[in-house]
Amino acid sequence: MAIGDFAFLIPLLPALAFVLTFFLGKKLPNGGAIIPIAAIATSFVISLLITLNLLQNPEEVITQSYSWFALFNVGVLVDPLAAVMLTMVTFVSLLIHIYSVGYMSHDAAPSRYFAETALFTASMLSLILSDNILQLFVSWELVGLCSYLLIGFWYQKPSAATAAKKAFLTTRIGDVMFLAGIVLLFADLFTIFNGTIPAGTYILRFDEIFAHIPEIAAINANIFGMEVSHITIITLLFFGGAVGKSGQFPLHVWLPDAMEGPTTVSALIHAATMVTAGVYLVARTFPMFIAAPDSLLVVAYLGAFTAIFAATMGIVMNDLKRVLAYSTISQLGYMMLGLGVGAAIGAEAVGVSLFHLINHAFFKALLFLCAGSVIHAVGTHDMRQLGGVAKVMPITALTMIIAAFSLAGFGIPGTSIGFSGFMSKDPIIESAYLFAESSGMWLPYLFSIVAALLTSLYIFRLIFMTFFGKPRTDYGGHESPASMTIPLSILALFALVFGALTRTSFYHFLEETFTNNFVNMDIPALAEMGGYHLASHAGHEPLLILWMPLIVAVAGLLIAYLVYGLKIVNMDNLVSRNNPVYKLLYNRYYQNEIFTDFFSVKVIYEGFAFASRSVERGFDWLVNWISDITIETGESVRQFQTGVIQTYATTVVAGVGLLIILIRVIMEVI
Amino acid sequence: MIPVELYIGLAVIIFTIGLYGFMTQRSGIRMLMSVELMLNSANLNLVAFSSYNADLTGQVFALYSIALAACEAAIGFAILMAIFRMKDTINLDSFNVLRW
Amino acid sequence: MILSLIVLIPLIFAALTLLTKTKEQARGMALVATVAVLILTLYMYFNFDSTIATNQFEEMYQWVPSLGITYHLGVDGIAMPLILLNAIVLPFLILYTWNDDRKAPNKFYALILATEGAAIGVFAALDFFLFYIFWELTLIPLFFMVSIWGGPNKHHASIKFFIYTHVASLVMLLGIFGLYFAAWDATGVPNLDIPYLLSQFQFIESGLMKDLIFLALLFGFIVKLPVVPFHSWQPDAYTEAPTAGSVLFVMLKIGGYGIFKIMLPLLPFTASPDLMITILAALGAISIIYGAFVALSQRDLKRMIVYSSVSHMGYVTLGAAGLVSLSVSGAMFQQFSHGLIMSVMFMASGVINAATGTRIINDLGGLAQKMPKLAVIMVLTFMASLGLPGLTGFVAEVSVLSGTFVNLPVYVMIALLAIVITAAYHLWALQRAMFGVFNEKLGTIVDINSYQTLSMGLIAILILYFGLNPSPVLDMMLTNSENIISLMAAMGV
Repeated sequence: MAIGDFAFLIPLLPALAFVLTFFLGKKLPNGGAIIPIAAIATSFVISLLITLNLLQNPEEVITQSYSWFALFNVGVLVDPLAAVMLTMVTFVSLLIHIYSVGYMSHDAAPSRYFAETALFTASMLSLILSDNILQLFVSWELVGLCSYLLIGFWYQKPSAATAAKKAFLTTRIGDVMFLAGIVLLFADLFTIFNGTIPAGTYILRFDEIFAHIPEIAAINANIFGMEVSHITIITLLFFGGAVGKSGQFPLHVWLPDAMEGPTTVSALIHAATMVTAGVYLVARTFPMFIAAPDSLLVVAYLGAFTAIFAATMGIVMNDLKRVLAYSTISQLGYMMLGLGVGAAIGAEAVGVSLFHLINHAFFKALLFLCAGSVIHAVGTHDMRQLGGVAKVMPITALTMIIAAFSLAGFGIPGTSIGFSGFMSKDPIIESAYLFAESSGMWLPYLFSIVAALLTSLYIFRLIFMTFFGKPRTDYGGHESPASMTIPLSILALFALVFGALTRTSFYHFLEETFTNNFVNMDIPALAEMGGYHLASHAGHEPLLILWMPLIVAVAGLLIAYLVYGLKIVNMDNLVSRNNPVYKLLYNRYYQNEIFTDFFSVKVIYEGFAFASRSVERGFDWLVNWISDITIETGESVRQFQTGVIQTYATTVVAGVGLLIILIRVIMEVI
Repeated sequence: MIPVELYIGLAVIIFTIGLYGFMTQRSGIRMLMSVELMLNSANLNLVAFSSYNADLTGQVFALYSIALAACEAAIGFAILMAIFRMKDTINLDSFNVLRW
Repeated sequence: MILSLIVLIPLIFAALTLLTKTKEQARGMALVATVAVLILTLYMYFNFDSTIATNQFEEMYQWVPSLGITYHLGVDGIAMPLILLNAIVLPFLILYTWNDDRKAPNKFYALILATEGAAIGVFAALDFFLFYIFWELTLIPLFFMVSIWGGPNKHHASIKFFIYTHVASLVMLLGIFGLYFAAWDATGVPNLDIPYLLSQFQFIESGLMKDLIFLALLFGFIVKLPVVPFHSWQPDAYTEAPTAGSVLFVMLKIGGYGIFKIMLPLLPFTASPDLMITILAALGAISIIYGAFVALSQRDLKRMIVYSSVSHMGYVTLGAAGLVSLSVSGAMFQQFSHGLIMSVMFMASGVINAATGTRIINDLGGLAQKMPKLAVIMVLTFMASLGLPGLTGFVAEVSVLSGTFVNLPVYVMIALLAIVITAAYHLWALQRAMFGVFNEKLGTIVDINSYQTLSMGLIAILILYFGLNPSPVLDMMLTNSENIISLMAAMGV
């Protein structure tokens, strides 16, 4: 049997681990952590073997489909795109689970933690493996549920419970758009098939969807007088889902609050894996996006804007984890930008974006785990109370600095020397330049360059404030145990060299995603349909453009060193309520006030809900009014019942007399 | 043979007397007697038509009616007895508990 | 024979339970009866052929030949899942109430059994006379359930419920008479058989008559369902009812059953099918979004659950109006799913009320710390209710939405808007009631007892099972809806 036949085990084992840990975890040491670790380790081995197999022969992807219900199926699809994601997710998840044994050792309910993270891993793997859009949506919602449960892991804390709710609801807005996209796609395909779907055909499977892209594109809808192709609507709705899940503007507001959960959760879910699901969705349905006029432009612009927008807020945050959260949003913006520039570079965009996704997973998980290590040791998130931590925790400090360099993108252009982050971020910026050159839209490129400067600035600000200088408070602390530092070191190694080692083979591998035995897409033809002009990719950028990312990264490092290391500027003057720019940034552009306090609470909750409540009272009043009228009529009519028999007799006689007269009259008339 | 109109005229007179009695009297016994009068006027009609049409059904019917009147009278007087025991009067004006 | 047994066992045992003296005897008797029904139903279910749309396990005896009344029972793919739902939940409901102390337990359990028998009777009846008898019979035990063991406002609620739904039933009865006499006039033979009368509907000549009959029948069903704006009996009745009563209310899926079994086969023959479809779809979409908004504004946990029920029932009419086999079967599945989910939700609100003495969401708080088992079950059912994939609610919702979108895109968009609101009120209630700091004013709180854990937990597992693998009940629904839809297609609707 080929190893590919075991692909279905990859999500199934962690799912099984969830059930076992949930029911038995309390009785085992460390909350039964060994069960998910073993399961995920096995999944990792299977994924790795499958990936290695697939590297040899990228055209032979693994597909298995089984009927689920009605017209829908469940299935497994391991193509290059899924394979790299699988390997990354199982690997990062494994490391974080090992790390969590130490991190959660003082917690009251470790078994619940490990059960929920196992469920999360299972759902995430199922999301990646889906061969149809509905299963992807199902897993998509399940990872959202796990995120909800894990953000609210310490549910006794009201702030955690609120953050969990906010995360679920905000992503839910995106999810509904995603669902609307699926519903619309289903309806279109159903119409294309004329309502008769042959047995064994699952119309929501990716091969069926992709095969019918031209027909879907031919259907037009009239929205406010504009003729819009259904494929554009569907892809934009999908992208709406991705915006929610991947924390793009304006649905990013939940991600910083999600840091209320344990730091390991932030590392696993809100940095490395779940938040990249949106990027994965766009990459997975890339043939649809490239065939949809304007969709990729929206992706590119919104991604670039999110990259710079989040980075500006990252500069002023004082909470270790919040800086990293804004960094995540910003980097996710880069990944979206990487996909969006597919408008210029075609299918290569998937490789460009995914490569950053994988590298980001390594260094961002590392950053979070380092932050977790610091928080675990000193017991505070606030950078203003830290300083000089490098002396107490050398391993943590060293690994975090490596991650910072990786994030900031240090490396020498044109060579294979550089941190992982450089190897993947540089191509995105280059592609953005290519996109700008070919289409004349320079804004995404400019945003990406400025964001690179800000990235370097905020991450080294964090490094200097936390690890160098004199301790600002008496925090104590110690280096973390080996179960925590070993995963850190492994991740640091990856953040250091993974990019340089795998760059060429990775791009080559991912290029095969849409040409294999499952789907065979002619991307240039689809791009033609979407009205995009693909540029030929050749390294003919000016030297300044080539070196620009490095220059801004070094500039960011220098500024951070001068301001936070040497303290040549007195920050107290800048950091004050009187500085409007600082105030705007520190209050996060007042998004909380606008979205949460005004829109959700005032408009939706108090406005709509209480309006409906009044209408409801109206309905009730109407029903009661009818009954009151009936009762009142009875009240007045019963006065005729006097209880005096003679009156009744008189009335009978009078009635009979009247009847006789009436009959006479009627007879006369007739 | 006496023409049937005379029987009917007699029945109308008896019925009217009964009706007048029922509507004006306040004593329960008098009212019951008035009801009997009205019933008997109907019986008179039945018998008269029966003999006029040479069909015995009407007379049989009259017998039924008389039996029924007897039952009704028995129940009526029983109720009046009960009322008399309770209220010491059979003046039905003072017994209008069944109004609204 | 087996179908008669399933209908009669609860009714006979209801009478026997009345004769018992103690709580122990009454609950034992009720458990025996419901378990017997469950076993028989499972036997019937496993011998049910889900690939054919005709009535199975039919029984037919002459009853009043001069009026065309027969004793005619049978189940098809629409009725079978609903009978199964009743048979599954009722034993767990008895277990749930196992340790409760209340006045007159013999009457209490007798009424539960009577409701079960009457409800199954409605699903099994294939004669309008029998159908209407069982239909009205469901009213009586529920009326007493609310008015004897109900909350502080029980008299108002029970009378409102009784009169409101009874009036609707009478309107439905007019519709039945219309159908009956029209067919009698046309053929000269009186017959109250449901399949026969449904097939005779198309021969009525007057279009106005057809529409009137259709609307009269529809009114009876949508009030029972209920949909906005005919729902106002429901919040009072459900909220005031004891927990067992609320569960019985949600088990009573006779309104939706009528829509699928009686309305849809008639729909293509009405004078203006498009208008009827619009009515159904509009009622559904309005219920979905309106119920969600009102639920969001509720402070009482149980009332919130009731309004979520209004919102969910909108999917039934919307899916029925979708007229695609996927949407219609999704709507049928919504009934099944809703029964399971709501029964656990009402049980959960019942135990919270019993433990804390209040249902006002803001007065609760941090219950998860004191009631961890309840918290797990509640999170699962709340997630099912807000349509999380992997649980039954999602299967129904996605089928209804995607199927209906083919024909009625605008109404589906309205329904989609409500999904976020639905998530909002569920999570809001969870956060306030279960999470956060424990409200010390609530005093000592103990977790749910083992009977309650067993009953709620097992239903919750069924929610998960049918969410992951809906085919065991969905297949027979699909068969029947395909049958209905092919009929429509033949009529060109």
